Amino acid sequence: MTGTLSYLAFFLTEVLVNFIAVLGLNVQWGFAGLFNVGVAGFVGIGAYVSALLTVPPWHGAPGPGHVGGLGLPVLVGWAGAVLASAASAAVVGVATLRLRADYLAIGTFGIAVALHELAANAQGLTGGPFGIAFIPHLLAAVPPGGLARGLLDLAITALAAGAAWLVIDRITAGPFGRALRALAQDEAAAASLGCDPRRLRIQAMALGAAAMGLAGAVQASLIGYIAPGNFVPILTFQVWAMLVVGGVGSHRGALFGAFAIWGLWSAAGSLFAAILPPSMATGGASLRIVAIGVTIAISLLWRPRGLSPPGRIVSRFLR
Amino acid sequence: MTTLAVENIVAGYEKGLPIVRGVSFAVAAGEIVTLLGPNGAGKSTLAKAVAGLVPEREGDILLDGARVTVPAHALVRAGIAFVPQTENVFARMTIRENLEIGAAVLPRPRRAGRIAALLETFPALATRPTLPAGRLSGGQRQMLAIARALIPEPRVRLLDEPSAGLSPALVSGVFSDIAAIAAKGVAVVLVEQNVAAALGIAHRALVLVEGRVAHDGPAAPLRDGKLLARLFLGHVEGAEAA
Amino acid sequence: MNPQFLADGILTGALLGLGGVGLTLAYSILRFANFVHGDFLTVGAYAALVVAGALSQFLGGSGIGPFSFGWPLIIALPVAMAATGALALLLDWLLFRRLRRRGEEIVLVMASFGASLAVRSLIEFAFTPEPKYYSHDLQIAMPLGFSVRATPDQLAVVVLAGVAGIALHILLTRTAMGRAMRAVAENPALARVAGIDPARVVRATWWLGGGLAALAGVFLGLTVQIRPYMGFDLLLPLFAGVILGGVGSVPGALAGGMIVGVAEALAVPFIGAAWRGGVAFLLLLAVLLVRPQGLFGMER
Ligand SMILES: Nc1ncnc2c1ncn2[C@@H]1O[C@H](COP(=O)(O)OP(=O)(O)O)[C@@H](O)[C@H]1O
Ligand SMILES: [Mg+2]
Repeated sequence: MTGTLSYLAFFLTEVLVNFIAVLGLNVQWGFAGLFNVGVAGFVGIGAYVSALLTVPPWHGAPGPGHVGGLGLPVLVGWAGAVLASAASAAVVGVATLRLRADYLAIGTFGIAVALHELAANAQGLTGGPFGIAFIPHLLAAVPPGGLARGLLDLAITALAAGAAWLVIDRITAGPFGRALRALAQDEAAAASLGCDPRRLRIQAMALGAAAMGLAGAVQASLIGYIAPGNFVPILTFQVWAMLVVGGVGSHRGALFGAFAIWGLWSAAGSLFAAILPPSMATGGASLRIVAIGVTIAISLLWRPRGLSPPGRIVSRFLR
Repeated sequence: MTTLAVENIVAGYEKGLPIVRGVSFAVAAGEIVTLLGPNGAGKSTLAKAVAGLVPEREGDILLDGARVTVPAHALVRAGIAFVPQTENVFARMTIRENLEIGAAVLPRPRRAGRIAALLETFPALATRPTLPAGRLSGGQRQMLAIARALIPEPRVRLLDEPSAGLSPALVSGVFSDIAAIAAKGVAVVLVEQNVAAALGIAHRALVLVEGRVAHDGPAAPLRDGKLLARLFLGHVEGAEAA
Repeated sequence: MNPQFLADGILTGALLGLGGVGLTLAYSILRFANFVHGDFLTVGAYAALVVAGALSQFLGGSGIGPFSFGWPLIIALPVAMAATGALALLLDWLLFRRLRRRGEEIVLVMASFGASLAVRSLIEFAFTPEPKYYSHDLQIAMPLGFSVRATPDQLAVVVLAGVAGIALHILLTRTAMGRAMRAVAENPALARVAGIDPARVVRATWWLGGGLAALAGVFLGLTVQIRPYMGFDLLLPLFAGVILGGVGSVPGALAGGMIVGVAEALAVPFIGAAWRGGVAFLLLLAVLLVRPQGLFGMER
């Protein structure tokens, strides 16, 4: 019973962490029409920056020559994660946003690849392939494991996700969101009304990446350990699948999408583990990725606006 | 003797927003019909609609009395050639390559001969056939565009403002070429802003105002200008009267 | 500077150029950044592995002359190119064609990103993540002068890549299909007016792009190793080379790939071999900031 409850808490925690990242992607794609192929990179920046800021200097990672962290409070680490992610997204935006739309895709893909390389190779800074361990939990007093910790984790994540939702909803419902929608509908008209399209888009990139950075920081402090393998293209893809399935442009849809795709992901994992012999465990992991890929392809083909359609005002602007 | 007939064309770029709103006309072999009208009247849209390049189109196009149902790229083989108003040559390809693309719809043995014939008709193009078309002057570009469209010997030619951006001397050259083409039995639809020159060679004139035909008749009576001015400004007068 | 790094860079550059040609053609004719393209290299390499493996049962597995490969791989090469082209067409038919009709290019990019993941994972499922080789024979690198050494296979790859580049140039400038492809890339509406069937050009583009990717993939497998991520790991340098050369320009793709390959190799002595992606990314950023139309590109 507690086992099931523990698992449920863990499952919902993961759903909510992903939801935070999907919120960010929704700002970028759902409102501003910006195609970000580097979600994993921005989540990774958040995770690594928060880890480096919060890990105590004497612990560090198991790798040799690690410079160690600054031992700052966890919330400071989260704030740093948000800022670092937003800043790096702004840099990519500055370089690519005056060009064709898919240059942004290539640029964000590039930053994700380069950051993954940095994480995997800059041993002195990131621990290299060993990653960074002993990342402090927000409530260090509660021992890890057990139902209580699971429920606490869920509560913390729910708070973070709720805060992100509230902030992003406020921003996107206000003048900034209206300007973004106007821009998506008719760039020339929006520009003539005094919006600077490029600046708006860079801001949307940064705001979205801020949420992704928060997701990375929250995840890092809950699990206590990060490694380069956590921030690979499949993560980008999961977040995209969540957004597309949940309904582009709708924050509530993002929550539903995170739930559905994470559920599918977990169920596919259990299913393949059950039907494939243990010798084919890696094969099962691959098939699970194929399942996600096919899901998103089907949703793109048949439900381009997702299963939970956005409100009437938004849908009018999204074609 | 009607070669091309256009019947009740309604066309535009978005559903529910027609630019051309129910236009019909016919062109006979050897006849030049000029399409006149104020800027934004929908002349180019009508020409593009006949050429199959507009996303929303209703109505019928008949060639020798038979409904044309083939996609845009097959119209050349069916005998309808279109020269767009702008971007009507492949700027990154050489003069010769532009002509070779025009010839590609012909059976292989005829290609070289047709290219040579067109280079003879337009000697300005023959001097440096390996020059990229993007480096040509406006007049030479226009000639190249017309030459490319002429290679397959189409029976119907749609020309959208062939005189745009040309010096007066070049205009008369291009227009006498067009008259010569028609004299060989080609049906020509000539969209023009240069009203005087167009009426000079056209047999019939169609005036398009706000996507509708405001006048369809012989070209000669329009040459004195007064009737034409009234037609162009017709909608303004209507507004004053109201 | 050690000329050996330059030589290694030229090898990588030749592969990037060959792989980049298909990417740049798809980009300019189909009008989207195709993220599956890297995985086409992988598909080609594995297809050749399977076919060559089957053939070596009948033809024997020994190499010809100084090369590690023999008739099985030589016969497998065109088969792999055709198989990869066919896969590209299949993906187009299942996915891209339908999305193209809706005219939202960025959705195409997204779909290609998903397809890339699915294709790669299917390969990983079928062949496991373990690296594979066309031949387990060790090749001795021959001295070429200037203290540069290269294996016969590496030399063959560079020469064949050059030959493929020239053949492609002839195809694009001297044949009707080649001109049609360039015409659609430059001005799709005018191409239709001129009587070019866009569907035929799209099919030719997938065949050509897929085939060349497979060629680059086999060469990559021959000189490095065959892994499920081999092509995807090259995607960023491939994009960098294509954009550096100017999207749509075939000579640009060849030259851009060569520049990226050599730049990566020259950076190795200073920052180590693990930073290839970073070098490609910095090059990409620099091009986008300074000359976004690329070296050979035209203003769009
Ligand atoms: N590609 C296009 N997409 C949307 N609207 C267009 C396009 N081309 C022209 N229009 C609109 O169609 C109307 C008629 O344009 P056009 O046919 O070019 O007129 P004309 O050739 O008579 O000057 C104009 O209001 C113009 O804004
Ligand atoms: Mg016009």
